[in-house]
Amino acid sequence: MIEAHELTKRYGDKTAVDDISFAIAPGTVTGFLGPNGAGKSTTMRMIVGLDHPTAGTVTVNGKPYAKHRSPLSEVGALLDAKAVHSGRNARSHLRTMAATHGISTKRVDEVIEMTGLAGVARKRVGGFSLGMGQRLGIASAMLGDPRTLILDEPVNGLDPEGVQWVRQLVRLLASEGRTVFLSSHLMSEMAVTADHLLVIGRGRIIAAGPVQQVIDSVTGAAVRVRSPRATELVDLVRTDGVTVTSEEAGTLELRGITAESIGEVAAAHGIVLHELSPRSASLEEAYMSLTQDAVEYRSDAITTTASQKGEIR
Amino acid sequence: MSTLVAAREVVPVRIARPAVDARRTFPGVMRGEWIKLLSLRSTWWVLGATVAVMTLVSFAVAMSLDSMAADPLLAPGLAQIHGAEIVSGGYQIGVVTIAVLGALLITGEYSTGMIRSTLAAVPTRVPVLVAKAIALVALTAGVTAVSVALSYVVTMPKLSEYGLVPALDDARTWQVFGGTVYFLVAAALFALGVGTILRSTAGTVTVALTVLLLLPGVLGFISLDWVESIVSYLPLPAASAFLAANDTTSLGGDGLTASAGLLVIAAYAAVPLATAAVLLRRRDA
Repeated sequence: MIEAHELTKRYGDKTAVDDISFAIAPGTVTGFLGPNGAGKSTTMRMIVGLDHPTAGTVTVNGKPYAKHRSPLSEVGALLDAKAVHSGRNARSHLRTMAATHGISTKRVDEVIEMTGLAGVARKRVGGFSLGMGQRLGIASAMLGDPRTLILDEPVNGLDPEGVQWVRQLVRLLASEGRTVFLSSHLMSEMAVTADHLLVIGRGRIIAAGPVQQVIDSVTGAAVRVRSPRATELVDLVRTDGVTVTSEEAGTLELRGITAESIGEVAAAHGIVLHELSPRSASLEEAYMSLTQDAVEYRSDAITTTASQKGEIR
Repeated sequence: MSTLVAAREVVPVRIARPAVDARRTFPGVMRGEWIKLLSLRSTWWVLGATVAVMTLVSFAVAMSLDSMAADPLLAPGLAQIHGAEIVSGGYQIGVVTIAVLGALLITGEYSTGMIRSTLAAVPTRVPVLVAKAIALVALTAGVTAVSVALSYVVTMPKLSEYGLVPALDDARTWQVFGGTVYFLVAAALFALGVGTILRSTAGTVTVALTVLLLLPGVLGFISLDWVESIVSYLPLPAASAFLAANDTTSLGGDGLTASAGLLVIAAYAAVPLATAAVLLRRRDA
């Protein structure tokens, strides 16, 4: 359980995290989604006490992280793949962490085995690839068998097998009743891994809730219609709250109206429909529309592509 | 009875308590810091270099006795020398490697990002600094004691030619040997404190070596009264107050008594460390 209350972090006059409140429930995988620079890492660093909040509080399992007698059994955190001394080997690194909590060497070897690092455990971390660094980070997060896991971009740099493995691992950990909080800027990853979403942009929470609900709340369910008399149909169905977009002649995408109503209107006016299919927006679309105004570093190309779409309203 | 049963039913499904037995303790933090020190090659390099350099310098100083005896101007000075000063003659060089050791102990964590793992495991933070200081004291005391012992052995043949082998039942001998260990331990702690404040290896080594070694030489050219009294409070002149076996060889001249020197040196270790502890707690990692 992670609870943030009016959490704020400012660096000089730049506000990284702006008065956010949220609660992350045990037994679920909660995705923390946002563009680069949105405040994801800063929030996670405040949860484990590395950064001090400018205002507000954040607790883990009921207490501020630093107040726990045994922090590593409460929270396992992967904040930075390479928060490791590059001159030390992987096993020694884990042993230094384990020693602080009196965790046995047997457990160290267990997490090495679990994360598939057995072959490189005695190699110096300096020579590790990004993916191996991620595995080591996950191994150290798992050391204390924690009730809560915080993983910042855990699939970054992993190969497909590794991505699959992280996905299964977090699902398993959540099914055991643990709290799993993982960040990503990859919506596709979130769509298959997370139960809940917390979407952040420019330091503020833009949306929160179960994945499907977040998607629906943003885009609403869309209905795709193909008809030779599309323009006519548009005039008939367009009322308040209905938006219509069209990418090619004769094809419409309508939001804010059900497929049933469109079918009835079409039938009443004798308009032939070649296609009438309700379709749910993807998380990616939801994400784009959510974070449109909250992207810190925007590339110009995106706007050009978007403007090529004809839009009828 | 029935209320008990009812109460039990309300309890939500509990997460199986972790199978891993874990509890943060200070001895644990201490052990963690030991493993950190001993599992880095750089530690062994620095320790080896310290022993080698200190022993070599004392050996070289002992060998230069010959030319000193041959020089009619310097020969009378020979009688003033206490053999213990020659044995521990490498401390001014040893302070370089020891300061690097103290600096790396913390700046190595900042430069690699390890500090975030360290502080996540010990979020109260100050115990980490205390454990590092204790480990550093033990290691520095050990390695300088070894260096002095080795220097004693390698200089013995030459010193015996001049009857200068320091007597082990002479209090002066132990004052110089003990003072050498004390000074180098303090220098290591000074570097640790400065390193925690500055968080950068290059900056820390520069500051540490400037204060520990270079300043007395630089300021020595300025013959203002107030500069001269500052100089006597710098680490090297202050240390010479208890490292010189007899009064004529002390560097700082008019400055400090032996016990004042000990206190000044202790302050060089304590003040940066105390500042570091406050900053470590307060700053973002």
